Amino acid sequence: MDIFVKIEHGRYIDSLETLLASTVLNEQTGVEIGYAGMATKAFKDILADIGLLTDDISASDGNAFVIAAKAATQAVFDAAVLEVEKSLAPEESGEETVQTVYPTVKAAAESCPKANLCSVAVPGEYALAEVRKALNAGLHCVVFSNNVPLSDERKMKELAWEKGLLCMGPDCGVANINGAALVLASINARGPFGICGASGVGIQHVAAILHEAGTGVSQTIGTGGNDLKNEVGGLMMLMGIDALEADPETKYIALIARRIGDRVEGPILERIAKCKKPVVAMFMSCERKAVEQTGAIWASDLDDCAVKCLSLIGKEYRLDTDEEISRRAADAVKFLAPCQKYVRGAFSGGTFMDEAMRALIPKVGDVTSNLPLKPEWKLADSAVSVKNACVDYGEEEFTKGRPHPAIDPGVRRPAILREAADAETAVILLDFILTPPGHMDPVGYVLDDIRKANEQAHAQGRHIVFVASVLGTDADFQNVSLQRQKLRDAGVLVCKSNHQAALLAGEIIRQKKERDENGV
Amino acid sequence: MACEKILKLFQSELVVVNVGPKLFAEALEKQGYKTVQVEWKPVAAGDREMQEILEVLGGLD
Repeated sequence: MDIFVKIEHGRYIDSLETLLASTVLNEQTGVEIGYAGMATKAFKDILADIGLLTDDISASDGNAFVIAAKAATQAVFDAAVLEVEKSLAPEESGEETVQTVYPTVKAAAESCPKANLCSVAVPGEYALAEVRKALNAGLHCVVFSNNVPLSDERKMKELAWEKGLLCMGPDCGVANINGAALVLASINARGPFGICGASGVGIQHVAAILHEAGTGVSQTIGTGGNDLKNEVGGLMMLMGIDALEADPETKYIALIARRIGDRVEGPILERIAKCKKPVVAMFMSCERKAVEQTGAIWASDLDDCAVKCLSLIGKEYRLDTDEEISRRAADAVKFLAPCQKYVRGAFSGGTFMDEAMRALIPKVGDVTSNLPLKPEWKLADSAVSVKNACVDYGEEEFTKGRPHPAIDPGVRRPAILREAADAETAVILLDFILTPPGHMDPVGYVLDDIRKANEQAHAQGRHIVFVASVLGTDADFQNVSLQRQKLRDAGVLVCKSNHQAALLAGEIIRQKKERDENGV
Repeated sequence: MACEKILKLFQSELVVVNVGPKLFAEALEKQGYKTVQVEWKPVAAGDREMQEILEVLGGLD
């Protein structure tokens, strides 16, 4: 294998597109490893790490677009470049549209006076500068950029506060404004519930259940995961509560947070106590009593948060009972061979993996992971699972040089066949997340691997039990009902939520262990 | 805190200025919302020293 390089000076390709281009490059036959991007210092560092840095690339500046790969021949590389170019070409929409592109936020806002929100997704170190420009132009902001220093986050939120504008994020994965699904949100029906939260997947999950139950959301405001840290002070959560309380379309408020800084908890709880609208709060790190003393309804987890919201409008949402989960588990255990003992979770995000591990532990004991709940459960190698294990494929070790698994499911793909090849694997637990910018068929993408996994296992006298959940709505382009049906048709046990999927997976392992020990 | 501007947003047609990957703007357009694209690239090709000089000179817009 030799290194082949294509450099185009003066061609700019945005970061997400270059990441997708890298994915396409690596999928080509005859390409051992490849990487595409603008020739910045960070890009050159990664190329040096993976052995693709050449003198020509070193000599290029950040205005050059580079495709580099270790490939079998020049012809293989040329063919791969052709595929990359196809992926970078704009989609044919049937009708010709010419969109004006502006050089700056200020120019865009001036040319389009109706513009009222700015979506910022630039590398973290540049986020503050762009958000400042947008706020100064009078635009509310949703900021997807991550790795933004907390001091920068505080500055942008103080400016937003001063101007009375929203600054959702940095690191905001989910927001629904006026019915639009922003960043990685699902498309939801409108309804009386306003949600403000520091967990994107948390907001998306609660909103999806409200949608499924026939109601919906007025607005959802993602604050970004760091908003409730002491350094940031919960500024956007406080603004979000103010706005939802004042919004006539919002009748009920749901608040979601994982961990709240000790100096932030007091002001947030005081604000909830003064809120004139009913509040359901899912604050993972808060004592139940402290939440209830504010007059808010306490929710133990995301499912409970949605169920308690629905009870406010006299609706019910039925989750599987413990007995039903136990029965489903008993049916699945029958197919397991004696050597199969463990659950292997492959997740596309940290919130769901965290939730799943907490649900698994009471049933299966220790759960090893690349991001474990206890330091001693850390996996030495994320590609080598030990006993009961969960891996978050949204972590930086997998997404360095590739988009998040919600956009590019290929990041997680190798896990299915690898885990299924391990004779000790009994259950493979998967999550799927739907969003307009995401993969159009994330379930379809892995069905072939699920089929192959069981063909290989059957040849060795084993059967792998797949358990999965799909987060999304039937208004999403991918349609959650169709995605779930595809899984069922492939023999996968589909649960209504990630939490329930983890409970079922854990129960299968618990019952299997009981059967092995008691010979029942 | 005064919420007038946020309430005005909630009652207006959403028009989004997109700074960064076009994927997000395309996703909004597929939902029927209007977007305006900013062709963002790092100032001074990502050269921090040059950016600081430009900031001092007021050349960063």
